[in-house]
Amino acid sequence: MRLDGIRGGLLIALRDLDRFWKYKFWLGAQVAMNLADILIFAVIFNNIVNRQYIPDYVKFLATGVLALSTFASAFSIGREVGIEIRREFTHYLLSIPVSREALVFGRILSGTLRGLIYQASFIVLAALIVGTPTALGAVLVLSTSAMLSASMSSLAIAISTSTRDFNLQATFRSLTYYVLFFFSNVFYPEEILKQRFPGAVVFLIKLSPVSLAADVYRWAFGYNTSINVFHEYALLLAWTLVTLVLASALYLRNLTRM
Amino acid sequence: MELLKDLRAMYMLVLWDLSQMKRRTVFVVMRVAWFALQVTVFGLAMNAIVRFRGVVAQGIDYYHFYLFGVYASMLFSISVSKAYDVAEEFEEGMIEYLLSLPMKRKILSLGRSIGGGLSAFLFTLPMYAVVVLLLGVYDPVAVLLSLLSALVFAVGVTGFVISVVLSLKSSDYTDIFFGVLDALIIRLSTVFYPAVVVAKIAPYYYAALVNPVSHFVDLLRTFFFFEEFKHLSVSSPYLMASYILGFAAGVSSAAIYIVEKRVEGGGWK
Repeated sequence: MRLDGIRGGLLIALRDLDRFWKYKFWLGAQVAMNLADILIFAVIFNNIVNRQYIPDYVKFLATGVLALSTFASAFSIGREVGIEIRREFTHYLLSIPVSREALVFGRILSGTLRGLIYQASFIVLAALIVGTPTALGAVLVLSTSAMLSASMSSLAIAISTSTRDFNLQATFRSLTYYVLFFFSNVFYPEEILKQRFPGAVVFLIKLSPVSLAADVYRWAFGYNTSINVFHEYALLLAWTLVTLVLASALYLRNLTRM
Repeated sequence: MELLKDLRAMYMLVLWDLSQMKRRTVFVVMRVAWFALQVTVFGLAMNAIVRFRGVVAQGIDYYHFYLFGVYASMLFSISVSKAYDVAEEFEEGMIEYLLSLPMKRKILSLGRSIGGGLSAFLFTLPMYAVVVLLLGVYDPVAVLLSLLSALVFAVGVTGFVISVVLSLKSSDYTDIFFGVLDALIIRLSTVFYPAVVVAKIAPYYYAALVNPVSHFVDLLRTFFFFEEFKHLSVSSPYLMASYILGFAAGVSSAAIYIVEKRVEGGGWK
């Protein structure tokens, strides 16, 4: 992509970011939900979880919710792109003097930035509850958030543009969201999953991007240092690259097909 | 004659609400998928994590406890989602049309509360069947009483939702209000954890005590497993049943008051 392409992409991303603040009501609801998970759900559950598996459920969930918050926020861009497709606003976007690649780049970049902005307060909260990460930990936290945000926003965009039907858009997006949400280790550790589910299911859950990100956060904040963090990080990087390439190609194809 | 006319108008409104169910097929597919994942993946994993201690431990299976919770939270969320329908109706001018119909406003609000509650109740019936199947308890009295309380609860929640949406008169405020409310009400209830566990944190306990969801879910548990859950409920079965009835009657009255006295067409943001 040439320099003017990057500039065009950045303009698109800034426009999207500006629109992000327009949906304060949505943002407020999301923050309240994730905060309630830590401050109510985890605090009360801490009294009934088996300490053998999870010594401190609040710390366990505070780090897991970081992954959840980034993923939920990055997914919001899909909702807006879906509205644009239905209202044919996409035709306008295609007519502006910005290459299609720059447009795709801009949209994914804005989704990534939204995820990072949204997650910032939860990083502070996790640092207060669990502990401050080291310099390496901080780098891992930021890059993990960027990767998860980028892959999830591109996935949400690709799904939303695969059909013009509002109901189908919402269904595809929600199903993907809930599969990633429940098939993750945000709420339960690996030992529990191994006890309850067949090996193949545990393997899939462990490989899901939300689980990989949660593992990196847990290591970075010092909650679980027994994790092979660089292995998880490399897997998340591979996930991000594959998702970005496939989702961008699909979005580009959908843009020109609509 | 007047009563017959009112009843007929209410019947037509209920029918109209039920006819809207067809539009929400995809919504139901999503909720069913969500429900399936919750009772399989999330429920089974959480069941393995939880270890009840002390008085709570006696003969309690957390998975049974949790299944009622999932059903109650699903019924609550689906009833609350009526808010988005009403907001959409306002945007489409449907509320203005309904207000112009030759019927009493109290009939309009009651009809919408009952119709909305009934459609939410019907939506969750397949999930209710799955929960009963997983529990393996088919006591007809428990089934009948639980279904009846579910219907009353759904009508109550719908009445509350209609009152709030018609007072807010803004789709943005509706969105945030019910998003936050749904998240907080479910977590500050006994859906996932018993009242005796919540009691360790006073503000959460008092919030759970006044929460209609706590009374509804604990009432369901008591109907099916009285001995196991009697020490864990927020209150006695009669008080919980009275609370649900009072809640439904109270919020329906509030809906009547708001539609009769405060709602006029237009002014929608």
